[in-house]
Amino acid sequence: MIIPMDHGKRVYKDIFELLPNEQNPSPMVRINRMNPTPGFELYAKLEWMNPFGSVKDRAAWAMLRDLEERGEVNPKRGFVEPTSGNTGISLAAMARARGYHMRAVVPNKVPLEKKLLLKIAGAELDVISDELCPAPGLGDGSINLAKTHAKAQHERYAMPNQYENEKNVEAHFQTTGPEIWRQTDGRITHLFVSLGTCGTASGASKFLKGKKPDIKVIAVQPTEGHDVPGLRNVTQLGVSKLFDASLVDDILEVEFRLAYSRALELCQTEGLLAGPSSGLIYEGAREIILRDKQGLGVMIFPDNIFKYTSNMAKHIAGLMSGTQA
Amino acid sequence: MTANYAYPDVLVSTDWVKENLGKSNIKLVEIDVDTKAYDAGHIPGAVGFNWQTQLQDQVRRDIISKEAFEKLVGAAGISPNDTVVVYGDNNNWFAAYGFWLFKIYGHQDLRLMNGGRVKWLNEPDKTLTTDKPNVIPVEYKASGLNIDLRAMVPLVFEASKGAWNLVDVRSPDEFTGKVIAPPGMSETAQRGGHIPNAKSIPWSTAVAPDGTFKPAEELRSIYIDQRGVDPKKQTIAYCRIGERSSHTWFVLKYLLGLENVRNYDGSWTEYGNLVGAPIEKA
Repeated sequence: MIIPMDHGKRVYKDIFELLPNEQNPSPMVRINRMNPTPGFELYAKLEWMNPFGSVKDRAAWAMLRDLEERGEVNPKRGFVEPTSGNTGISLAAMARARGYHMRAVVPNKVPLEKKLLLKIAGAELDVISDELCPAPGLGDGSINLAKTHAKAQHERYAMPNQYENEKNVEAHFQTTGPEIWRQTDGRITHLFVSLGTCGTASGASKFLKGKKPDIKVIAVQPTEGHDVPGLRNVTQLGVSKLFDASLVDDILEVEFRLAYSRALELCQTEGLLAGPSSGLIYEGAREIILRDKQGLGVMIFPDNIFKYTSNMAKHIAGLMSGTQA
Repeated sequence: MTANYAYPDVLVSTDWVKENLGKSNIKLVEIDVDTKAYDAGHIPGAVGFNWQTQLQDQVRRDIISKEAFEKLVGAAGISPNDTVVVYGDNNNWFAAYGFWLFKIYGHQDLRLMNGGRVKWLNEPDKTLTTDKPNVIPVEYKASGLNIDLRAMVPLVFEASKGAWNLVDVRSPDEFTGKVIAPPGMSETAQRGGHIPNAKSIPWSTAVAPDGTFKPAEELRSIYIDQRGVDPKKQTIAYCRIGERSSHTWFVLKYLLGLENVRNYDGSWTEYGNLVGAPIEKA
């Protein structure tokens, strides 16, 4: 006999039922020891608790469902997508579970863990010399190579294109935003995000500002020439089609190495095994909290540290010492 | 728009290429630094040349010999009388280098596809294929050797004394010596900076946001009026490995019509390694 699915008992009929939404939100955890101003409540929304391991589960699912509903994918016609890792991992695992193939075009500088995870999740891998994060525009990077595959082998590939796909924004408008509104009982005053495709910032901000226009949305960016996969520096924002400046109140630029040292501190002080983009967002939130003193802030922590051990070893002095017999 | 260029025929639009697909005397050549792009999809009928392995001598640092060029081009089914259209990745940098190489070996009817492979890729009415073209190899005999298109070190020293235009097309940080090469590039030099008396005019100055060349009037205004390239002088363009400078060489020679323009393909990876060569910084 099949065990009946039961949200209360956390028994599900398939992995997709674990995807986050207002009834099944990703958890929010209060920051305690690392909160510099007790008058300001600060929470981390742990997107790595999503079933495929990152905030990108949301966009990947919305884009996949849209293509399915429009009859654009089938067992012979799968996906090709440029990715710095997380979208590809989510999309590959989802695609394979539904019987589609997946090809991921990845910049070479993406950490080895992510490349291996993409293969483990079932993606065919194209690694190319490119900037760290696939950048739209004139470069012949991963976005254009993915577009080339989609155009030359139209019968084999549909390209969701997370950099231009409105479903990416819509996913956060329909899930991330309402979850936060409900989880904070509408008390949220500050939202802290990073900017990659800008889907999270645009979608969640649009929903929350619709509920409460004076909510401050703060985007945190690494310094130019950074080494934080998936994120975009402010100088590259003009090229992201999903970026809407009217939905972001402040863009903070943070020295990228702090992404790694703050991530380490979150791991060792709060028990939050947060990745470098979360470390960066925390640093930005810290600056604003010290400035604004009062409020309730939510930080979207995109993924955890597990995929970044080699990057951590590169940027945290002494981490490698004592790891060999 | 191309009518005001000095030699408008050398530049063809993506629409022109589409209209002329399949014509037996028109040969398409995609030239990339990374031929993954060609393999993933190219214009129907185009052959693909790899800039690193097919247009460079694989033993010494040099362009391929006349014999190697004849062999490569003949094997691609190209005859001396054919119209050859080159295009490629990275805003046509490597295609412009290929154009320069074809001209060195005297090919007559040569065109560059404005905007390169990215423009074609992003136009909905243009198709790409993974099918290899049907090529019938021919005997190709190069008609000449136009070495006056190329600058070698002794001439560069001479030019740096001020009687020539020296155009450095690298990024401002490479020009000032803040960096020796763009991040992640393996070809580098012992010293940073620029050749004395060179003017910094990055290659991208010549292109519009969609990767096509700016109109002739604008190019003239930028290069001659604003940046001080003297059309009465002879000119040398250089960069780091000679591909971005091919792009500017094309602009100066064919779009603006300057006489006697040379590409210094040794560029900074040669000059910045020369013992005793004078260098300016900042």
